[in-house]
Amino acid sequence: ENISDFSLNITDCTQVVVPEEVFFTVAAAGILENLLVLIAVIRNKNLHLPMYVFICSLAISDMLGSLYKTLENIFIILCKMGYLTRRGDFEKKLDDAMDSMFILSLLGSIFSLLAIAADRYITIFYALRYHNIMTLRRALAILAIIWTFCAGSSIAIALFSYEAATVIPFTILFPLMMFFILCLYVHMFLLARSHAKKIASLPTSTVHQRTNMKGAITLTIFLGVFLCCWAPFVLHILLARFCPHNPYCACYMSIFHVNGTLIMCNAIIDPMIFAFRSPELRSTFKKMFFCAR
Amino acid sequence: MSALRLISNRTSQQALSNSDYTWEYEYYEYGPVSFEGLKAHKYSIVIGFWVGLAVFVIFMFFVLTLLTKTGAPHQDNAEPSEKRFRMNSFVADFGRPLDSERVFSRQIAEESRSLFHFCINEVEHLDKAKQSQKGPGLESNTHFQEVPRSSGMFEEDLNCLTKFNIPNFVNTEQNSSLGEDDLLISEPPIILESKSVMQSSHRILD
Repeated sequence: ENISDFSLNITDCTQVVVPEEVFFTVAAAGILENLLVLIAVIRNKNLHLPMYVFICSLAISDMLGSLYKTLENIFIILCKMGYLTRRGDFEKKLDDAMDSMFILSLLGSIFSLLAIAADRYITIFYALRYHNIMTLRRALAILAIIWTFCAGSSIAIALFSYEAATVIPFTILFPLMMFFILCLYVHMFLLARSHAKKIASLPTSTVHQRTNMKGAITLTIFLGVFLCCWAPFVLHILLARFCPHNPYCACYMSIFHVNGTLIMCNAIIDPMIFAFRSPELRSTFKKMFFCAR
Repeated sequence: MSALRLISNRTSQQALSNSDYTWEYEYYEYGPVSFEGLKAHKYSIVIGFWVGLAVFVIFMFFVLTLLTKTGAPHQDNAEPSEKRFRMNSFVADFGRPLDSERVFSRQIAEESRSLFHFCINEVEHLDKAKQSQKGPGLESNTHFQEVPRSSGMFEEDLNCLTKFNIPNFVNTEQNSSLGEDDLLISEPPIILESKSVMQSSHRILD
């Protein structure tokens, strides 16, 4: 009869539930698309270039993110159906492993984007020496170092995720990397603008101002998509660590599944803005599907 | 009273199913959160976060657009000579009239790289009044990467490329200008069609 024992208010922020069909569709689409990118790059010898190696690395990390979400969903369904207990040791270890896979995906995405930006930077500012600076072997070595570091830190973060000392560097790394990538691209952008100016200053030029907008739009899309897809989750981690009992924070954390779906949407959008912009890769796709028929 | 208990039963069951759905949150031990006496709207963090993110992205877009329109004129003087040389070479390269389809491939990059090496060899051989036999060899596009690069080569590159800077050779149409999206998206920004480059280099240097 004591209603006050039920401290759950009717005005609670209940978990916003994303239907499982939506989850699985988005995750499957992300995994398929990135797998196609990988297959296309592996099959076409012309695409064995450092730039495509970094795009593949981005595709792998996107696939890991979608895979994590799929596995987690399957896990939850198994729990609901009663095949797995909720507090078992094995389940806790499995959950830790899945958490580390997710953090690996996030770190892999950030470092892949950084590698892509640095590769383009070297392409533009050291163009004549590019093929000596960025050989395929060096690109693979860089990737090996990046992924080893990401794997190590993801395991460390997953094991010690309840300490503030891991959450804070993790959340600081995210905006720092974004800022660095933004600086690289802005510098490239400025050079491209001065190029366009030089060409425009030639007597027979007819360069329009409109072409400059495309660069701004492209860059905004790159960084905007990454921010909008990953920042909600990073904020969730921060709030979960520092104010789990605050009602405002709890309301933010109730949309966790929407944030997870956003991350999977990032896995779908990334190939479109990186891989599919290359005509060579698009033609490889067409060949693959044409031959499959 | 029974109605209230029904409601509270339903919310507790919903909470149970929520905790089933999000069982891993048990580690964080989310205790019951009371929503009494909230001053602002309960989703204020959500709304504030998304509005802030949207404002930031739009701000970034406007900053980038402003960079294209006004930008820094002093940047042209402050660049080192190496960059200026490279930009001259880019201008010369991009002066080529381009077809609507641009071929980005390893062959192109290597052949354009080999174009410069071709220049370097050409400069050396012109002194000896030797015709370059390496034109057809460029199709294999592998050996010229091993031409040793040193900083002293840049002056030779410059001399070589001044031969390219013929006024009627430079034809700037809109599709031949260096679009920023090409820089940001594609491979090494030497957008040339391979055969036409070879033809033009033969034409100019013969």
